[in-house]
Amino acid sequence: MPYLKMDSADLPKVARKLAASGARLVLPVREGDERFYREGADPDSLDLTTIPKNSIKEFLFPKTERILRYQYRGKDVTVEDVAPTAAGRTVIFGARPCDAASLPVVEPLWNWDYKDEFFNARRAATVIVTYACRTAPDEACFCVSVGLGPSSDQGSDVLLFPLDETVVAVRFVTAAGRELESAFAEFGKGEVAEEALEAFRKTGEASLAHRKKFDRVQGWLEAHFEDRLWEEKAFRCIGCGTCTFLCPTCHCFDIQDESCFDAGYRLKNWDACQFSLFTLHTSGHNPRDTQPKRYRQRIYHKYAIYPQKFGKILCTGCGRCVAHCPVNLSLYDVVATAQERAERGD
Amino acid sequence: MSDRTAGIRAIAGKWLQEGTVEAVLGWEQGTYRDKTAPVLVRKAEEVDRLVFNERCTNNLMTYLKRDPVRSLSTVGIVAKGCDIKALIGLIQESQVPREKVKILAVTCPGVRNADGKRPVKCAACDVNTPVFYDEIVGEKIASNPDRAARFRDVEALEAMTPEERHRFWREQFDKCIRCYACRQACPLCICSRCIAEKNQPQWIETSAHPRGNFAWNLIRAYHLAGRCIECEACETACPADIPLMLLNRYMAKVVEQSFGYEAGRDPQAQPPLRTFKLDDDNSFIL
Amino acid sequence: MENIYKPYLARIEEKRKETYDTTSFKLVFVDDEVREKFTFRAGNFGEYSVLGEGESTFCIASSPTKKGYIECCFRAVGRVTKSLAEKEVGDVIGFRGPYGNHFPVEDFFGKNVVFIAGGIALPPVRSVIWNVLDLRDKFEKVTIVYGARSVADLVYKHELKLWEERSDVDIVTTVDPGGETPEWKGKIGFVPTVLKEVAPSSENSVAVLCGPPIMIKFTLPVLKELGFKEEDVWTTLENRMKCGLGKCGRCNVGNVYVCKEGPVFTAAQIARMPNDF
Repeated sequence: MPYLKMDSADLPKVARKLAASGARLVLPVREGDERFYREGADPDSLDLTTIPKNSIKEFLFPKTERILRYQYRGKDVTVEDVAPTAAGRTVIFGARPCDAASLPVVEPLWNWDYKDEFFNARRAATVIVTYACRTAPDEACFCVSVGLGPSSDQGSDVLLFPLDETVVAVRFVTAAGRELESAFAEFGKGEVAEEALEAFRKTGEASLAHRKKFDRVQGWLEAHFEDRLWEEKAFRCIGCGTCTFLCPTCHCFDIQDESCFDAGYRLKNWDACQFSLFTLHTSGHNPRDTQPKRYRQRIYHKYAIYPQKFGKILCTGCGRCVAHCPVNLSLYDVVATAQERAERGD
Repeated sequence: MSDRTAGIRAIAGKWLQEGTVEAVLGWEQGTYRDKTAPVLVRKAEEVDRLVFNERCTNNLMTYLKRDPVRSLSTVGIVAKGCDIKALIGLIQESQVPREKVKILAVTCPGVRNADGKRPVKCAACDVNTPVFYDEIVGEKIASNPDRAARFRDVEALEAMTPEERHRFWREQFDKCIRCYACRQACPLCICSRCIAEKNQPQWIETSAHPRGNFAWNLIRAYHLAGRCIECEACETACPADIPLMLLNRYMAKVVEQSFGYEAGRDPQAQPPLRTFKLDDDNSFIL
Repeated sequence: MENIYKPYLARIEEKRKETYDTTSFKLVFVDDEVREKFTFRAGNFGEYSVLGEGESTFCIASSPTKKGYIECCFRAVGRVTKSLAEKEVGDVIGFRGPYGNHFPVEDFFGKNVVFIAGGIALPPVRSVIWNVLDLRDKFEKVTIVYGARSVADLVYKHELKLWEERSDVDIVTTVDPGGETPEWKGKIGFVPTVLKEVAPSSENSVAVLCGPPIMIKFTLPVLKELGFKEEDVWTTLENRMKCGLGKCGRCNVGNVYVCKEGPVFTAAQIARMPNDF
């Protein structure tokens, strides 16, 4: 089946069209030497050069969000609902496959028995136009290790294939994606055969051929909770939240009340298991009182606990934790060590 | 292999063999691009992990506040001139006894960040050859500091009107995600329980909204005023690309102008915001 | 839009200062429909909140056999609990729940039930005690061993008396050595030691045990010695919780989320858990 062909120079125009209906537009743009996904940026500043430093997480799970409002009147207090932040129609244009793939990964958690309608409302209102990677955009990438790939369509509504510097092939993946077809069709310049996309996919995967497949990690972790690996590897961790907050699948949060005299809000804020206070009991007891234990928890949550519960690895191999850790504690290195030891039977 | 790397390995090996220190904290080659990574070497056989090159940007003194280094009774630390200033600050504030740390100083022509550029501190550096140490490696380097470089970006800030400045910082702090990487990377953020972690009362809102972010970043800058040694660990670590050093250097300039004091020089001195002198300037009060 | 983080509102109908730092409340839901329809099982917990201060996690201390209200008992140690302790009768607080699993009280039918609790851990056990006592003829012997650091630390003192006066309950209360007052008529000794003396039969019995970690640590071997199987010893795990519904990522012990698959566990289940609590 052939795919729509267009000029990559026309991509900003498509983005502008999609935003014209009043939708919130999120794009990767350049800031200094980095790229960030930002909302409300001018479509002409669309920059698809490399993977942005932040993930698309903040547009579905904001770093801080009001979840209810309360009001005191004497002894009485009432609580009112607040509308979910930014739940209007959203177009994320130019997401990387590892970012788009994170949404189906976290959806089961947000709906585990109790449905978080804040997330669901935003998810339902968001359409993702993904920009596939011809080759891995960064040395830190390892999407293939967790069963994904540089042209994975998981979580995407539309998938763009930059076949070269000027040609983009467009694949409409879901029904929501097909609804955008007219916006793209206006800039169509013919068709691209399926074989070209196959070749594209192979090129991308070849660029990551050196990455280990993490297929034995879960089993190894389940048998090695008290292993010396954690002390050895996690010494250099300084317990900042960088890896957690840049990660597209990390979702741990805090609930805080903020008041102004007799009224205020309850909020849901990002939190990180790497922080020393995360599991601290009021009694002073802390089950994870050292950084190696906290670091272990992150690996276990992603590679053992989440797979046991939801059948998916809580990681899309985007590599941000590897690229931006201030002390180069590479999650890839640690998990690869677990894989190697599993393969060695060690 | 550079002479410095060889020199570091030799001294670290000697110290570990002789039991002068329980461990040596230094840098090893990292696994992402040309990054280096902090490493704690406990056995003389492992000293070949240690390296020194212009990507040794982390300030290793930040490990003094955390286990396992905190619990060691003696530790050798490989350090550049800027890193040693942090240790001087910690000694001034009685956080680390002088005897605990054996300083393995390295002469340093300057480091480079991930973008290949030299940080501001290197342009203005006058401790390329450290003066406070136990042993030193590397050929002597004569410092040639570009004094103006230190506060060049601060002057642009000073030239703004208060409204412009507020708008500028509002835009910057909006990016803050409250990961506290700045605090964790900073060798002088040493409170066992940070003010942002106290909730009786909740001094600083923990939410990453503009009001909370302003409070956090400004209070951190205040707590560092007169103490920050401008090693740039915070700005390097910040995943939101906030120009934290602009604020910290601004505060350093104010402290210098008000008290004639520069942090991290003299272990016997005291940061001005920790002491009171009868002849302190009162003009801004009256 | 359904908001899973939105609490019910409950008015404090009764307040009692149990000890110098522990308070208990009887709470009645403000909304009629909630009050009518609210059900729970013994062992469930909730997120109790003071709007403006935050939420705090503790059990429902009353039995589900009592309709129209719930009770709780907590120690004032942090921002939220201190604020809760200052609330008065008539004040409205928040309650989210019921969350968690429960004690399988029906599985205890026809058996002897041995309750062991220490200090502030009586409230979760109390919910089961009243559940059992309200269905008394369904169970065989009921034994309660309860102790605290000192007389001043015993909670629900008036109920201890009620239980003492019942002929269908054997209750032994104790305080740690040095915690007695001149008037104290109960035993003196740590709970595990006293349990050993009481030596309840393990034949056709289950144990319900809650207490500080140190007490649990020394009580489990006593129960084992008495012949209790680990599958028949029921306890609760306390862990730091926030959302109470399995999303905030805080309370897991290995792959077990205490808020969803707990807080009630058997000693057998706990023995299989990693050292992560």
